[in-house]
Amino acid sequence: MSSFVIEASGLSKSFGPTRALAGVDLSVRTGESLAIMGASGSGKTTLLHCLAGITRPDAGTVGFRSGTGQVEITGLSERECSRLRREAFGFVFQQGLLIPELTAVENVALALMLNGMPRGRAEQHGRGWLAALGLAGMEDRRIGQLSGGQAQRVAIARAQVTGASVVFADEPTGALDSTTSSEVMQALLDSTTGQGRTLVLVTHDASVATRCSRIVDMRDGRIVGERVGAAEVAA
Amino acid sequence: MIAGVGWLLARPGTTGATATALPVVAFAIMTALLLTVIGGAQSFWTWTDDIAVTYQALAVIALVLLVAPLASLGGAAARLSARRRDDRLATLRLLGATPEAVSALAVIESVVLATLGALVGVVAYFALVPPLALIPFRGEALGVEGVLLGWPALIAVPVGVSLLAAVSAVVGLRLVVISPLGVRTRQDAPKLHWLRLLVGVVVVVLAVGIVAVLRVAASAVLILAMLGLAFGAALAVQNLVGPWVIRLVARAQVRTARTPAKLLAARTVLESPKAAWRQVSGVAMTSFMAVFAGSGVAVLNAFGEAPDLESRLLLDDIRTGILITVIGSFLMVACSVGVNQAAAILDRRDLYESLAKLGMPTSTMDAARRRSVMSPLRITAFGAALTAAVVMLPLTGVTLIVAPLSLAVIAAVLAGGIGVVWLGLAATRPLLGRAGRVEA
Repeated sequence: MSSFVIEASGLSKSFGPTRALAGVDLSVRTGESLAIMGASGSGKTTLLHCLAGITRPDAGTVGFRSGTGQVEITGLSERECSRLRREAFGFVFQQGLLIPELTAVENVALALMLNGMPRGRAEQHGRGWLAALGLAGMEDRRIGQLSGGQAQRVAIARAQVTGASVVFADEPTGALDSTTSSEVMQALLDSTTGQGRTLVLVTHDASVATRCSRIVDMRDGRIVGERVGAAEVAA
Repeated sequence: MIAGVGWLLARPGTTGATATALPVVAFAIMTALLLTVIGGAQSFWTWTDDIAVTYQALAVIALVLLVAPLASLGGAAARLSARRRDDRLATLRLLGATPEAVSALAVIESVVLATLGALVGVVAYFALVPPLALIPFRGEALGVEGVLLGWPALIAVPVGVSLLAAVSAVVGLRLVVISPLGVRTRQDAPKLHWLRLLVGVVVVVLAVGIVAVLRVAASAVLILAMLGLAFGAALAVQNLVGPWVIRLVARAQVRTARTPAKLLAARTVLESPKAAWRQVSGVAMTSFMAVFAGSGVAVLNAFGEAPDLESRLLLDDIRTGILITVIGSFLMVACSVGVNQAAAILDRRDLYESLAKLGMPTSTMDAARRRSVMSPLRITAFGAALTAAVVMLPLTGVTLIVAPLSLAVIAAVLAGGIGVVWLGLAATRPLLGRAGRVEA
């Protein structure tokens, strides 16, 4: 049985009169790919933000277990949360949200430079990740010179290059056509669970969610169902 | 129907309050500074004696020098106003509005914001009149009567500012065609040809030559004309060479950047060296003028025994005028930088938020944008001062020996000006903090 890398219990969060999370309990196993599904406003992105230490819940706790021990994310200061996100987590957003002035490899290397790695080594690592994601030869292109799918692969490389044990992805294929979406999803899975890492993904696209090992469905700030995904069935 | 929807989209939402207020503030600052400058210059026209013409000529030169930073501030205000509308105008296009309707809405909105800002600027000008009246020229304070503008100017300036906003909106719409999807594709980083440098060097050499032959010039009029030519040529060349030098330095900085902030800053400048130059180019003119004229006045003070009180006061007043022009120029650049940076933060809010989610400290983002402004500013201010020193080499050399304090004062004012721009930049830090706040 796999150990848990993230354990959340009793998470509640309101934005003004709107209740985004209403007592959510969720455990994420090491090396699994977990899809959080739900309609708009169901609370899935808020849940992802709470799990990743981006948003502080009004109530409840989030624990993160790594090779060096266990920390309660909800008890960390803003600065400590930033550091945890920088060093232990990776993020992929819907629009990629890469820095347009930088080249592909600089975007990836920046994540390592923020952790203090010298630029030369950081770019070397970045080139390796870009090559692994099928972007060899495009390292020095600016983001505007890449297609949507290529840019999203750069975002995946940026999320992975620090050796993040958990990658959080918020609608990572939301802005892509179905073919590119499928390719990007495969790249995301290969580079996370394929390497023994954990993927937590928010999506409203059932075809994306079914490729994960586990799917939880959300409605009105609560988890209302849990299913096994295609990855688990295949395993 | 489109008009109705247009009104709905044009209304400032609660989240867009800052974006609406900023252009108003920018236009207000521009109007206040413009009225202050005209008010100060106006007082020179109340004199009718022989030497008044000299003062009036010098006032015109100062006004010309302040046109560039003022235009830069006006442009920044207009661009900020235009950026605010892009997304909503694209939505209107999607709803089926004709390009003419979209253009009309854009112009109307710009004019309304500019007029509001201009009216606030008039009020701010009245607040500035008392300190402005205390500035001494010809041995006594200018006085409230001297610097207080009449109704024609108080009406003409706000109308002019509103017209500028309308023209900027029209030009902006023609330059950036807003597609229904609001997509703006990024081009490659622009390349600037090295021929700019060659032309620049040739012009500076010519200007040095002109100054060198001044001693054999036959008349004072010819000397003034040749000095004017050298001054004008050197200023023109700055616009040609400035962006090229900024790009060259930024390229070197990209290669040697070792920290995220340095890399981001250098890449930001390299993205558009012309924009980086435009933001600070007003400082180039004033720095150049401060050294150019400051050296001349210092040498005259050191060697020339002023024949009478009037001449001595004139030299003192030229020095005062130089300092006021430099300070005014830096104030305008500081405002322009503040407005541009506020617009840039609003434009890139999503990116800043995502970087904060990745764990990038706000201090790193702030350091990057601070460097992206301060580095071109330092290059511009000191580069222009150096160019002036080279063009006026015999004179600056003499000044350094006989009146080093004058050059030290000029250097101190330039350093102070850079500090003021830094403050303008720092004023937008809270906006960045809000943009990078991930806790929803």
